[in-house]
Amino acid sequence: MAGRRLTRWVVAVPMAGLALATIYPLVFTTNVAMKTRREYILDRFSLSDSLRWDNIAAAWTNVGMSRYFLNSAVVVTCSVALLLLFGSMAGFALARLRFRGSSVLFLGILAALFIPFQVIMVPLARIMADAGLVDTYPGLVLAYVAQFLPFTVFLMTSYYSTVPAEIVDAARIDGNTVYGVYWRIMLPLGAPALVSVGVLNALFCWNDVLISLLMMPSADHRTLMVGVTSLRGQYSDDIPVFASGVLIAAVPVLVVYLFLQRRIADGVTAGATKG
Amino acid sequence: MPSGGSPSSVRTMVAERDEVAVVAAARRPGRPFPRRTRRGSRAERLAPFVLLAPAVLIIVVLRLWPLVLGVNFSFTGDGDRNGMPVGLDNYATLFADPLFRTALRNVGLLVLLLPVAVAIPGLLATFIYLRVPGHRVFRGVYFFPAVLSPVIVGAIFNLLLAYDGPLNTLLGGVGIGPVDWLGDPDVAIFAVVGVHVWATFGMALVVFLAGFSALDPSLLDAAKVDGATLPQTIRHVIVPALTRTIQFVFVTTMIGMLTSMFGLLFVMTGGGPEGSTYLPEYYIWVQQGQFNQPALASAASSVLFVIMLVVGLAQIAVLRRTGREV
Repeated sequence: MAGRRLTRWVVAVPMAGLALATIYPLVFTTNVAMKTRREYILDRFSLSDSLRWDNIAAAWTNVGMSRYFLNSAVVVTCSVALLLLFGSMAGFALARLRFRGSSVLFLGILAALFIPFQVIMVPLARIMADAGLVDTYPGLVLAYVAQFLPFTVFLMTSYYSTVPAEIVDAARIDGNTVYGVYWRIMLPLGAPALVSVGVLNALFCWNDVLISLLMMPSADHRTLMVGVTSLRGQYSDDIPVFASGVLIAAVPVLVVYLFLQRRIADGVTAGATKG
Repeated sequence: MPSGGSPSSVRTMVAERDEVAVVAAARRPGRPFPRRTRRGSRAERLAPFVLLAPAVLIIVVLRLWPLVLGVNFSFTGDGDRNGMPVGLDNYATLFADPLFRTALRNVGLLVLLLPVAVAIPGLLATFIYLRVPGHRVFRGVYFFPAVLSPVIVGAIFNLLLAYDGPLNTLLGGVGIGPVDWLGDPDVAIFAVVGVHVWATFGMALVVFLAGFSALDPSLLDAAKVDGATLPQTIRHVIVPALTRTIQFVFVTTMIGMLTSMFGLLFVMTGGGPEGSTYLPEYYIWVQQGQFNQPALASAASSVLFVIMLVVGLAQIAVLRRTGREV
């Protein structure tokens, strides 16, 4: 018994080390962001002597992080709203309505799930350019919706499949139209799944860089992550400001993670556990 | 979650072949609407199609159609020969390009590193499941980098892996290095893959833990009663019970490596030094975005798609074989 307990600690110590290695990079970056440039050059490891917000403020105003932040916020909000609306509409129809071609459509949407963005990005860019949507907010929103819609439809379909058919029938007998059932019954009932899928989609869109690079070439329209990549060139000699920019982009995600960790994990494993 | 926390890796995580069948079966309505609604208006009968229209339209026009278009592009020319059919010229150019060959060689390297990238989260999940001291904290902490954008991760590791950065200082303390992590062509790709594994192992860990939650605890009790050691328990109880989860993680990890490292490459190495960290997705981006060679980029896209298909089919083959054995 004592042997077993010893083994557990032998394992736990390196695991604690790994946990430290998981946290440290962000702690290091935060600490750097609090230092003056001089402090950083003299000693980059020591704990900053004070909480200094100058660098954060500089990154926020001088470098245009505030502009990028706003761009990201707007695009992510619109994208997630549309994803949830279209995803739940399609999920409800596929899970709870009977019509010809239902399985073909489901399989078609499923197939789209397996197409990586890198494979279609060249022709997509041309389609968007032909439609005059490159470098516009609606264009980027549409690109995000297209990218994450198959995943959203898939999860909403599997969630609505667990809603008892009796509920839908009862609502129909009460005189609701199909649209009424969707709007008054299925949308509210889908809330738990909508929150999980919504948070995941918000993370995907917020964290994306490739789609945004492709769709929003002009500097004014940069999203936050593209903004971070451009910081490196502009501030290669002022690392504390660079670190501050990175922090600004990471903080919203950290907050979401702290409060919704379980939801995120549930969303990630939703597919893996259903088998 | 992830090109962001890796969208593509999560996107594919929910798409394992088997549960697709389960969902397909489960989503069949238990019962059609009551008969009397059949006389419902035309608007009612069209309702399913109206509800599906936005999703289907967007997916067909912006995902399925581009796939067809892209394969088509890959057989036409760039620049002066824009739009003209050129047969397999782009593919010939592609396979003669040292950068693309490096990209393919790096894919091979990823395949070789795959077992390590799967074993690490697998082992950690096992320990967490067996309740090592602090397991609750570990679970929360390990998953956390998975939600960060590759851009953030890359930017942070640019600082950590700098020649005069913290890692080299640490290694210097024990008499190793310094290593030029991102500047040495023989080292850089390993550094980038290492960072990718650091950033994503939490995702696979969570999937493993979900697999464990379906494991019958009495099996482990029986193993304990029989006096099995930990390695024996893992080999004879846990691995057989989690076969499907392990296969699932193998495929999703591979797909993640092939489709969600762009952000890291873009921020950390830009494909360098000497083009040593190119991957197909980065090659596609450079040809399209920098050199304006969409046809060549499309050919590279088609090759990437074939690689992904092979990964998918290999998975199905493995599943079939194990299915027959059981």
